[in-house]
Amino acid sequence: MRNKWYLLMMVPAFLFILAFLYIPLVRGVVMAFQNYNMFDLTNLHFIGLDNFKAIITDPYTDFWQIMWNTLIWLVFSLIFQFLLGFTLALLLKKPFMGRGIYSGLVFYAWALSGFAIGLIWSWLFNGQFGLFNDFLVRLGLIDTPIGFLSTPGLAMVSVIITNIWYGVPFFGIMLLAALQSVPNELYEASVLDGCGAVKQLFYVTIPYIKPTIISTILLRTMWIVNYPDIIYAMTNGGPVNSTNILATQMINEVFKQYDYGQGSAFGVIIMLILFIYSVIYLKLTRSSEADI
Amino acid sequence: MKKATALLVALLAAALLFAGGSGESAASDSGKIQLTFFETMTSPGRTQVLQDLIAEYESLNPNIEIELISPPYEQADNRLSMMLNSNQELDVIEVRDYTQKQFVNNGKLLDLTPYLENWEESDDFLPVAHEIARNVDDTPYILTSCLYVKALLVRTDILEQYGIEIPTTMDEMYEASKELSQKAPNQFGYALRGKSNTFKISDVLMFGNVGNIDTENCYQTTDGKYWLDNENGKKAMEQYVDLFKNGCPPDSINWGFNEQINGFISGTTPFLVQDPDVIGSLEGQLDPDCYTVVPLPVGTSGYRYLDYGYNGFAISTTSKHPDEAWDFIAWLNGAEKNAEFCKAYGPLPVFQSIYDNDDYFSSDKYQAWADELVAEDTIFVKFPIDSEKYPAWAQIQEQGMQAMLMGNVSVEDTINTFKEYWGY
Repeated sequence: MRNKWYLLMMVPAFLFILAFLYIPLVRGVVMAFQNYNMFDLTNLHFIGLDNFKAIITDPYTDFWQIMWNTLIWLVFSLIFQFLLGFTLALLLKKPFMGRGIYSGLVFYAWALSGFAIGLIWSWLFNGQFGLFNDFLVRLGLIDTPIGFLSTPGLAMVSVIITNIWYGVPFFGIMLLAALQSVPNELYEASVLDGCGAVKQLFYVTIPYIKPTIISTILLRTMWIVNYPDIIYAMTNGGPVNSTNILATQMINEVFKQYDYGQGSAFGVIIMLILFIYSVIYLKLTRSSEADI
Repeated sequence: MKKATALLVALLAAALLFAGGSGESAASDSGKIQLTFFETMTSPGRTQVLQDLIAEYESLNPNIEIELISPPYEQADNRLSMMLNSNQELDVIEVRDYTQKQFVNNGKLLDLTPYLENWEESDDFLPVAHEIARNVDDTPYILTSCLYVKALLVRTDILEQYGIEIPTTMDEMYEASKELSQKAPNQFGYALRGKSNTFKISDVLMFGNVGNIDTENCYQTTDGKYWLDNENGKKAMEQYVDLFKNGCPPDSINWGFNEQINGFISGTTPFLVQDPDVIGSLEGQLDPDCYTVVPLPVGTSGYRYLDYGYNGFAISTTSKHPDEAWDFIAWLNGAEKNAEFCKAYGPLPVFQSIYDNDDYFSSDKYQAWADELVAEDTIFVKFPIDSEKYPAWAQIQEQGMQAMLMGNVSVEDTINTFKEYWGY
């Protein structure tokens, strides 16, 4: 009887999830197979895989460059966010005076809106009035300002640096919490076994917090791939498509071109890629976990 | 009994979940007629102006209550489209140049002909405002409210410093920009717009040098051919590339509105082509004596071809109170309130009497726009907003122009790509 009541009490939550997650999700997937364009909704019908064909073969927006940009954006953002975040967590693990204030200041970036961060950094990187250029000129390192956001290769580097700055606190917070749960006895025992600091890191710390590392990397991967805010504010995907990723192009299709069909097709592609990645990643990390 | 209780609880939960989702909002609890007004070009300052005007209207019409919906700017058009397409009840909606066709196509706007026939201010309404109202299917679906027309803003103090005259032709402006760029390090001429709706400025600059532009579709010449696919077109593009390379900051390839304004205020780029609402952005940041506004220079054709951006008010086909909705927009968009609204917000008003009698809009800063609207060498043209290719054009043009300006793609190839896109 009590179990039945528990089930009944879950109905509102279930309805919420159904209404705000699964129905829109299914609706989005269905749209990917329709010519759902706000410009003319009088001719709405199923068109099979045409939206997918259109975005992959679009001669004006190079799909494969967008895929490549997404990969570069993800890999470099993730690696540096993780390494710097982990380093930050290790540094903050030991108590020191003002640690609380320092942590608060460092972690504050995580609380800011991505679009606002993009706007702030776009002024820092600005090739005409930017602080970085001013700094470099004053130091005598350059004569003429560098077009950080107006040169294709540098634009990608600039948006990745901004994303790294934004994402480091996430790894810092999560890994610091995990590090604080490592029992001191393990370190004491490892010292008795003759471990130095480096060996302790690789044989005690990392194995112990591995579940946190796995889940945070998985989460962050999904967020980075789905995160158009910084790029949108800094370069709008340019110059010449050089910083356009799947998520920014999806936003373009929906909010600027009113093409919900093709926008949804981009969404489905992102979803599929992340699903395949998650399955492979979890399989690999589980098997390596079993090896320990 | 237990099953009935369980069913009741489940239904209650569902009811709670969807409470408030109903579109029935015609009458408020107070018994007043409730109108829903959806604003799309939102900003905190603009929304406040509208709220003040609504409060004034409500005090004059105690039986009317108006609910203003003002989503964030970036989401507003899409949210409105979604609400209209799900047939939610809305009364007054703000329509823009590039949503007018879409809403008409989808049958969401009420034909205003019966109301306009008896509208007292019709004669004072600018001819261009009448034309805009009828832009789709030659039927007045909107009541035009504001105009956005490009003019040239000039930093007179910097031009005086270097002894350069205010340009009256596009060639003069290009030359002056190049000359200014030689004067000092970090001094350039023209504030080029490299991203975010670039075509609205770059094309307006080039139309005059091409000439014979079709007024109904500015992407073709009067003989029905693609506008850049001729000697003048090629030359206009080459001049534009030359302007970028020799008269603009290299970084301007990534400049949007904010960077353009910053370039103008700092004096780095003393020439700026913009809409009248830019005056509001300059207020408090730049001494008004430091700059002036002049009509957009004419091209080698002897004409300036301008497009007009606009917004207006419309009545949704889902409105249950169209008469009251009309009464409200006729009041809100009458000459008196139109002047008040445009003064507070910055765009050009749509009544002749405002330009004739209002000191503010006949001041020197607005005179250029007032002159342009009636000048004999001004030809108003329309972008092909009716075309289904139009919504994607901004991104394609931006990428194409950036590639051309950076030297990655030739002028000829860029023209061919654009021509092919438009199907010529």
